[in-house]
This record gives sequence, structure tokens and C-alpha cells, in this order.
Amino acid sequence: MGFFDEPFDLMTPPEGRVEGVAKVTGSGKYAAEYKVNGLCHAVLVGSTIAAGTILNINTSNAKQVAGVLGVITHLEKPVVPGMADEEKIKEARFGLPVFHTDKVYFKGQPIALVIAETLEDATYAASLVSAEYREDAKTVDFNGTLGFVSLTPAGKDRGDITALNSAAHSIEAEYNIKAEVHNPMEMHATIAEWTADDKLKLFDKNQGVNNVQRTFAKLFNIPVNHIEVISEFVGGGFGSGLRVWPHALACIMAAKLVKRPVKLMLTRPQMFYSVGYRPASWQKIKLGANADGKFIGIHHQAKNGTSVYENFNEGITRVTRLIYNFDNLKAEAATVPLNLSTPTWMRGPGDCTGDFAIESAIDELSYKLNIDPVALRMKNLALEKNPETGLPWSTNYINECIEKGAQMISWKDRKAAHSQNIEGDWNIGYGMAVGAWNAGRGNASAGIQMQKDGSITVQTAMTDIGTGTGISMQNIAHETTGISKSKIKIELGNSNLPPAPSQGGSNGLSSIGGAVVAAVNALKLKLAEHAALQNEAYKNVAAADILLSDKGISLKTANSQFFISYASLWEKNKLGILEVEASSGPGAERQKYAFCSSAAHFCKVRVNRKTGKVKIERLVTVSDGGKIISEKAAANQMSGAAVGGIGMALMEEQATDERLGTLVGNDFAGYHFPVNADAPIIEVAFINKPDPNINPQGSKGLGEVGIIGTAAAIANAIYNATGKRLRDLPITPDKVLLG
Amino acid sequence: MKQEYNFSRRFFLKTSSALGALAFIPKGVKAFYEEVKNFIVPKKEQLPLTVSINKKSYAIKADTRTTLLDLLREDLNLTGAKKGCDHGQCGACTVHIDGERALSCLTLAAMVPGKEVTTIEGLANGDKLHPMQEAFIECDGFQCGYCTPGQIMSAVACVKEGHTKSVAEIKEFMSGNLCRCGAYNGIVESIQKVAAK
Repeated sequence: MGFFDEPFDLMTPPEGRVEGVAKVTGSGKYAAEYKVNGLCHAVLVGSTIAAGTILNINTSNAKQVAGVLGVITHLEKPVVPGMADEEKIKEARFGLPVFHTDKVYFKGQPIALVIAETLEDATYAASLVSAEYREDAKTVDFNGTLGFVSLTPAGKDRGDITALNSAAHSIEAEYNIKAEVHNPMEMHATIAEWTADDKLKLFDKNQGVNNVQRTFAKLFNIPVNHIEVISEFVGGGFGSGLRVWPHALACIMAAKLVKRPVKLMLTRPQMFYSVGYRPASWQKIKLGANADGKFIGIHHQAKNGTSVYENFNEGITRVTRLIYNFDNLKAEAATVPLNLSTPTWMRGPGDCTGDFAIESAIDELSYKLNIDPVALRMKNLALEKNPETGLPWSTNYINECIEKGAQMISWKDRKAAHSQNIEGDWNIGYGMAVGAWNAGRGNASAGIQMQKDGSITVQTAMTDIGTGTGISMQNIAHETTGISKSKIKIELGNSNLPPAPSQGGSNGLSSIGGAVVAAVNALKLKLAEHAALQNEAYKNVAAADILLSDKGISLKTANSQFFISYASLWEKNKLGILEVEASSGPGAERQKYAFCSSAAHFCKVRVNRKTGKVKIERLVTVSDGGKIISEKAAANQMSGAAVGGIGMALMEEQATDERLGTLVGNDFAGYHFPVNADAPIIEVAFINKPDPNINPQGSKGLGEVGIIGTAAAIANAIYNATGKRLRDLPITPDKVLLG
Repeated sequence: MKQEYNFSRRFFLKTSSALGALAFIPKGVKAFYEEVKNFIVPKKEQLPLTVSINKKSYAIKADTRTTLLDLLREDLNLTGAKKGCDHGQCGACTVHIDGERALSCLTLAAMVPGKEVTTIEGLANGDKLHPMQEAFIECDGFQCGYCTPGQIMSAVACVKEGHTKSVAEIKEFMSGNLCRCGAYNGIVESIQKVAAK
């Protein structure tokens, strides 16, 4: 055994994320935190009406304020070539044509931007901008409006839904979910600097730097590589950073106007109508089964809110086709235009909403059938193949998730009938639900730079919004090279690095993992190429036969005398920094197999009969995400998603006021998501079996399945505790008391 | 210089009642309100201040409207304290003022001279991380990291205050620090770890 085979982890520092020190010391720089010379500040002014036309804007008072450098409105603004006329605006598909229209579509829509020397100057001056409008009719009332839009088919029918008429047992019910807002802790922010007439540098909060780059290259008609986007630290996203929003464009326009770098950070209230949200939804489910619990079919209808200037379809019925065998299936959907900003994907988009209705209906059916909800699901899961495409699952361990979860929460302690478990004023109940998500993978690139001392830097443009992309890249690089983690540096979140897809839809690690493996293989081959000049045995060897270590290169099949140290390799070949870049993406396996991640959620609740308070006593989440690359980060993802699910189930609600056409309570006092005390210690487990086909590392995305099903598990537990079937989210104490 | 504004409480009350009286003619109210606002909203004024942050003294000129949070982030490049709401609702901006946890977004810069402010940047002892910082890394007490400095400043105070007797107590006394990633498992574990030392 050669010395290069010695254990590598002697020098490994305490386990933690690659960016851990930067995050706990506050030294990591988020978008608004970079020090840029000559920086000035911009503050947005929103419309005070929800629909109409701007007749005139008074900016003169604002302009007189000391420190003000400029004001942008639709009447006075720098040129954006991609929005030069109606045609171009349509073509750009940017969404709200900010400052390029006199029309107002929602309250708070930016109508002006004030740029000033300091934040205080800009904030004060912005308060002095006023406008006159001609008001049009408006509505922000989703439930009051949804009756006016008709459903259309969402995908092909399966079988014949009239079969439901002969079902021994069936459920027909409606479900309503209020709009939810992502609200990552970091408010969206951009620093824009034109470094030349056609060169732009952005420090920006987003979930995909290449997407930002492409968007602005098109709008400003400049080459993509003239735009540098830096998003090294991203303070959460949950989907809000998957689109490029008007405030970022506004900031770039401001930098053009004042010819200085400009910073724009949204305020928390602006976050509620500037960067999307999960739209309000209505659903109707008809579900039937025969006497022994075999599902006969499902009729799923869904509507979601959208804006009046863009259509956003949530895809609520998509998940209906994924989890269970329904021989007969009909899905219909519609969108309801409202005078609100455009919604967007939010964690578990569509599926999280649709799953709540399906999993609630199945639970309800289980009581009618007098079959345990776990057993009923087991009987109907589509475990062999994707029921929609007919392709066999590459892997699908949703049944094992259910079994493990039931064991963890001690499901046998659940009373089969509701309201049977009572302690004083509290009713105790158990509930469960499952969730699944189509597991994707995109094309991604990664680069590796190697130094003479054997240390490597692995690079990608992909962001790390907190999911643990960085540590997972390090883990994969460590496992495939054998190089100590302490010698593996990660660089990401910068458009100058090898391109990668946006980090969303649970595609991040699934995509970048393959790219890291490809880059490691490229590195091995490049090193072997140089080594071949010293030892012929390295000629034409395959990457799989090459071993690396902290010290040097060797061959798997040969003995240790073929070992060549990096030091001698570098000296003999006069190497500087060795650089490789490689790409990887999905291929023919997508035609052969279907891919999904899945999870089972189990919940034990206490419901107070006098106050209606729901206390989550235990929440267990077991998921199948293929091979788990970074156990701590993955568990963190899942427990965090469960906390998000508690919010969806019990508290999150973007209230609106129809009379004023406005959002109500758009701050953290008015919009509640779980604080520390609202959540128990979440219990997380993984099946942790690699998927051999999805990507080289065998991991399936986790971000979405963590929240798909959580709300239903909680609602089902509330039913088991109280006998109250609550189909409208969030389940606030008033609903519990009146239910 | 200081008493430059020659409006009084009486003036304010008078204008308020005038506003009420004019409520039935919205346009008039609006114009009047604008005038009143222009008149009474304080204009920019700079104050010379000496503040002590992380045991370092800074002699600065600060806008009277500047919060401690904006002073740290915008003027002193101490961006560890985070802006998550600017309204005292999220805790991301938590710092210590004279050893007690405080929300820097609800503290004007002009209020801190004579006090010792500690931010996340001042928590470590040179290169040696504070035990709470170490615990947050080991227990993965964060995801995106944006609420983390505030969580850690609160966590240090929480231990000092002795509110660590149970998971429930830690959760209660850490509920002023929101984490949208939901990394509460790791946050509680970090605090338990440090409290046990």
C-alpha cells in the first residue's frame, strides 16, 4: 500500500459547510453589501391605485430635495432598447413593462424611482412624489371572481371519469388556499454599475445568474458576456429569485441615468408585490373507490389567481397524475386575472397545492371506507411506473418512506376514529400524507483549477441559496478525487464561472453534481496526459482507472511505483494552474425511465377545544431523494421545508382588501410564517438509496418534496383529533372553532 | 441649529384637526396634506457623533434620520447585521448594546454615543470563533445565512440570560429571530450545545 492510500481525513476540519465561517462571522457578502465606489441609492415609488392610467406625476418636490440625483418615470427615463415599443415589450416577455407604460395594473406598481446620494435622501424624496390617475374598475378578490372564468382541460383524460358514478364510496369536496408569499429573509436587492457604455456589472439577488445575464443582454441589446452577475451569497429564494423582476431593471436604468453605480433594495412591504407569490387557489376533487379501497378515478378541477397583465398557471393538477394509479382521470384548470402583481413559482409550485386537496380527500375517504390511511395509500400507489407516461420508475421508494415514517411517529398509537384521544382541553390526533415531484436534471458546467500543491478549486455559476450546493459540490469532488476536503475550495454564484441552470424545481444538485463528476474526470485525464510524459503507463488510460490523492496521481490497476507526485508533475511539465471545464446533462435515460423524488409526512397535533389553537407536537418527514450527498444540509432542507409546511397549513395568508384593491398586512406583523416556537424539532429521515440512472452521483432533488404533503398531514391530524374536516388553508384558530 | 423648525405641538394639533375638517373634499386635503408634510418633515441634518463599535471608536457625521443598522451597513461597511424588515419584526439586525440584545433597525445612530455596540464582526476573538459561531457551523444552524448573524447575537444573549433550560424555553426566547429557511432544528441544537458547556 502506497502512502497515497493513507486515510485523507486526518487534516479535515470540523464538518460544516464550505461557506460556514463566512456566514457565522457576517463576512459573506449578499447583493446589497458590496462596497462600490461612488455608490448612490434608489427608492421605488408605488402607485396608490390598483387599476387605471397615470395622468400626471409630480416629481418636482422630490427633485428639490438635497442629495437627489435623478428621478425616473414612464415620461422621463433612459432608453431600454428591448422595450422601445409595444412589439418589443411583448417579445421581451419580461412581465411588467416597468416605466414603459402609463397603465396601472396593481397597487404598488412602480411609477417612479428616486435616486439620491444616501438612502435617507432617496427615501424622503420618494415620499414627495405624487401622481394623478384615472381609475378603472378593479378586483383583488379571488374567490369572488373565480366563478367568472371557465375551466379548460389540463392534459389528456385517462379512461372515462363517468366510472366514478359506480364507485362504492366517493368524496366530493372543495378546497381553498390563500395566497402565500416567499419572503426570503434577504429582501431582493441589486447594485448596478455600467463599467462601459455596453458593459454592465450586477450584484444581484437571484437563483440563476445566467438567467439574469440573458434577460438584460436582450433588453439592453448587448452581448451576454458583457454582463457580469455576482450572486455569491443569496439570502433565500424559495422561487422568488427564478425570474428577473422590475426592480432590477429599474436599478440598471437608474445607473444609466446618473452614470454612477446604484443600489436598490426592496423594502419588506414591497417584497409582497414585487417578486411573486404563490397564488390563491380553489380546487374541487371528486374521488371514488370500490369497497375494498381500490381507487376508481379522480376528477380534479383547479383555479389559481394571476395578474391582469400576465397569465401564470400554477399546474395544480400535475401531481394528480404522479403518485397513484387512477385508471380514470380528468383534470381541468383555469386562471383568474386580478389586479395584483404576477405570481410565480414558490417551493413545491402547483404540486404542493394540488397535493393538499388530493391527500385531504384520500384521508376523508379512508374514514368512509374504514381503512387505515396508510393502508389505503399503499394499496393505490403507482410503484412500478409513472402512471402518466407509462415509463418505469428509475427508482421510487415512496412506500418505504411511508413505512419508515409510520414507524418513527408510532402510527399504531393513532385512534382509528376521530376525537378519541383527549387530554384536558386538548384533543390529540395523528395524520399523514405523501408527496412526490418529477425529479429533473439540467445541463450544467463545472470547472476545476488545480495548483501544484494538489489543492483544487471547483467552480460553477450556479448559486447556493442555502440548500448546500457548495458543500455538496465539495463532497462529490472529494469522493471522486480522493483529495481532502480541506484542499477543495468552492467558487459559485458568478456568471464568469462555467454556466449552470437556475437553482429551482429541485434541479440544483441533480444538475451540478454530474458536472462536477465530469470536470473531475476531465482533470484526471489531463493529469494523466502530463503523467504519460513521465511514465508510459498513463497513456490512453480511462478516467475510471486514474486515482488522485492529496499528493499525486496513480493508477488503480498498477502498483504504487507508478505514483507521480503533483510536485514533480508540475516541475517536469512546467505547469502553472491546471484548468479544466466540463459539462454534463440528461440523456437517453430520460426516454427509458421516469424519475421522481417522494416523501411521507406524519404529524401529531394537539388541538385546544376552547381556543382553537393547533400545536404541532411532532412532525416526521421521510424522503426518497436518492443518494444523500450531504446528510446535514439535506436534513436541514427537509426540516426547513416542514416548517414551511406548518406555515402553509396554519398561518400563511396574504389578505387583500377588495374595496381598496390592496394587500393587507404586508409585513411580518401582518403576514405570519412560523417562528422558532411554532415548530417542534422536526424529525427527518432518508431512504438514502442511490438512483442509478438520474445522474452520476445518484441523487434526486429534495427541495420541493419536503413541503409537498405537509399541510395535508397537519389538516388530516386535526381531523383525527377533532372530527373537523378543514379544507381551507390556513387553518387559523377561528376556522378550528367554527369548523 | 437644533431648534430650526418653528412648528409646535399646537401647530400640529391644529393642522390635524384641519385635516379632519377637510376630509369631505379629498383633493383639498391632499394638497393641504402635501404642504403640511413638506413643512413638518425634518430636512436633512448631519450630526457629529462618536460611536464605539466592537471596541473601536468612530468619529463620524451621521444623518439624524440614520438608523444604527444603516450606519453599520452603509457607512461603516459592517454588513454582518442584516436588514430583513427594517421594522423590528424579524431580528436579523440584532446587535448587542452594552451587552444586551437590541434591534439596530429600531435604534437611531444618534442614540448610541456613550454605549458599546457589538456586532457579529466583533464576536470572535481574533481568529478564534466564538463558541456559538462554532456551534452554528457544527450543527448546521443556518441555510441561506442571512438571519444567522442576528440568530447568533440573540443566541449568545439567550445563553447569558439563562433561557436555555428546555427546548421549549430556547424556542420561546429565540422567536424574535425569524428564519424563513426554517433552520430552527440546528439553531436550537447550537444553543443547547453552548449552554451545556
